[in-house]
Amino acid sequence: MSGEIRVQVTGLTKSFFDEGRGEVYAVRGIDFDCREGEIFGLLGANGAGKTTTLRMLSTILQPSGGRAEVMGHSVSTAPELVRRSLGFYSASTALYPRLTARETIEFFARINRYPRDQVAARVAALIERFGITEFADARVDKLSSGMKQKVSLARTMAHDPPILIFDEPTVGLDVLNALELQTMIQELRAEGKTILFSTHIMSEAERLCDRIAIIHRGEILTCDTLDGLREATGCRYLEDIFVKYVRAGESAEDAAETGSKLDAGPAFDAET
Amino acid sequence: MSFYDIRILYWRELRSALRERGILVNSILIPLFLYPVMFWMMISAFSFVQGQQERFVSRIALIGLTAAHDELRASLADDESIELVEAPPDWSAAIQSGDLDVVAELLPPSSDAAGLGDNFLLRLSFDASKDRSQTARVRMDSKVDDYRAAWLERSGEELGLAPAEWQRFRTDRHNVATGDEMGAFLLGLIVPMMMVIMIALGCFYPAVDATAGERERSTWETLMTVSASRSSIVMAKYLYVATLGGLAGLLNLFALSLSMRAILAPMLGADSAGLDFRIPYAALPLMALSAVLLAMFVAAGMMILASFARTFKEGQSMVGPLYMVCILPTFLVQSPDLELTAKWALVPIANIALMFREVIAGVYQWPLIGLTLAVQMATVALCLAVARYVLSFEDVLVGSYSGSFGKFLKGRWSQRGKSTGEAS
Repeated sequence: MSGEIRVQVTGLTKSFFDEGRGEVYAVRGIDFDCREGEIFGLLGANGAGKTTTLRMLSTILQPSGGRAEVMGHSVSTAPELVRRSLGFYSASTALYPRLTARETIEFFARINRYPRDQVAARVAALIERFGITEFADARVDKLSSGMKQKVSLARTMAHDPPILIFDEPTVGLDVLNALELQTMIQELRAEGKTILFSTHIMSEAERLCDRIAIIHRGEILTCDTLDGLREATGCRYLEDIFVKYVRAGESAEDAAETGSKLDAGPAFDAET
Repeated sequence: MSFYDIRILYWRELRSALRERGILVNSILIPLFLYPVMFWMMISAFSFVQGQQERFVSRIALIGLTAAHDELRASLADDESIELVEAPPDWSAAIQSGDLDVVAELLPPSSDAAGLGDNFLLRLSFDASKDRSQTARVRMDSKVDDYRAAWLERSGEELGLAPAEWQRFRTDRHNVATGDEMGAFLLGLIVPMMMVIMIALGCFYPAVDATAGERERSTWETLMTVSASRSSIVMAKYLYVATLGGLAGLLNLFALSLSMRAILAPMLGADSAGLDFRIPYAALPLMALSAVLLAMFVAAGMMILASFARTFKEGQSMVGPLYMVCILPTFLVQSPDLELTAKWALVPIANIALMFREVIAGVYQWPLIGLTLAVQMATVALCLAVARYVLSFEDVLVGSYSGSFGKFLKGRWSQRGKSTGEAS
């Protein structure tokens, strides 16, 4: 894999204290890295730890253990610099309803320290790029959901960050809007952006990702290119690959819980 | 913390707020127009009720009134607002049922007054629980007073006595308070309470909107991803809430100083002669400073509570009790005997309310004013320290904590030393 490493994650852990269950681990010591011009996918079921991982990388949450660096900045010690280097997009990051599209993009460009003298030009360029010129001065709460999605993408990219994080971005979108978003993500990769992408939709991961990490119960079970995963499992479809890793992971975990001595990695039989 | 970031975030908050109807109404329109509108409504209602009462024709029955008192009977008959009727056998029940308003009964004089042959006792029976009956009684009183005055004067003349001789002494009331002082006294009862209410109201909606409202709209997480530090974000929000609270207070002060004289004077009618309802200009800077400090305190308190809420509704129910707590001390100020003392200067909100009252009356106890301002600043600092402590916990900051401020304190206290999601 070529290109500089922009995101480096080592032994990253997140635990929460729950009154009923005590210490609960959402993410357990995961390792991966992402490079320039790469779409890196985190593939996992609901509750696997994808969002928690991405939230730690975007410094919304503090890691309980391990290290994560974004553009060489630690998420624990330099969170502001990390946030300046990335744009975070998810279904739960809504827009300010009482601002216009233009004001929204401008606000995010300024607050993320885009050079002041270039903000106006950047805002104009993004409005042009996303085709929202006609609605640029309309309040966000008056826009259609498709338009809101475009404004949301524009605000994510307002400060032109080298890294973009998309947390299940197509949740709630219709097919056409989802395809438009996927095309946009591919264009961003072509521009040299690093894309971290989480999804539980296999076809999306297959179509977009250069490398895929399968995450289950807070642990990364494997991380490779789609071809590498096919070769390792002997399965053609990502869905089969995913199920194979998850089942093997669960068997290993169950065996470990019952005291069996097993090697760390999941084991499975290759099949065509 | 970066001033550049705070400035951008602050203006974003203000810009959004000024486009929100609820905030505009609570923080700007109500403080500015409440008094004129409220007093106008009061005057209108008062005039309406008075007009209705004046239109009533009072039904009065006279019992036992002899020909010697024809003058009284004629005076009653000449009055268009009075109708003389026959008293029914059970006139007491008729008054209670509203069929009759007053019965005037001429009775023999009691005790010592029985010495003179033409003395008599006039008993007016009425129902105090009925407006109409009360009005009739007042009208009858007035007629009887006039009749008595004429009677006495005539009797005095017959005896060759001038009014000064038979009156012996009179009482004359003389109020030594100036119009300014009386106006200040009345303003001192109203202004502090209204100022505190308006400041609390001005902070209430923005505090909930900037925290719980953001979470409900899912813009909170968006905000958590910007490169500004968390302390800059919280500070910008705090300043925004305090600004709207302070603005509500200052607009209120402006509205009060303009409208009080114009509205209270006509309402008080003849009683207002010579009263001055102007808030002294010299008091305005100190009142404005105090309003800002009060807004800073209320804003901090409300934001602490609202930061535990995940929906606007939750935020309202969490902040509501603090709103009441803020208003409660102002009722103390309604006691005219209460003065700003060193002890009272230590009680937040009550100290400001008492200080308002004194400076309106032109009383400047500078050591106590200094102590009041110092206490208020210390309270603001304490609230900010608590806010900082509370928001240092990741679960509260990101909105995943489920519970109130009280539950939070109890829980964190019992879990000291355990991992609780405190941001490192």
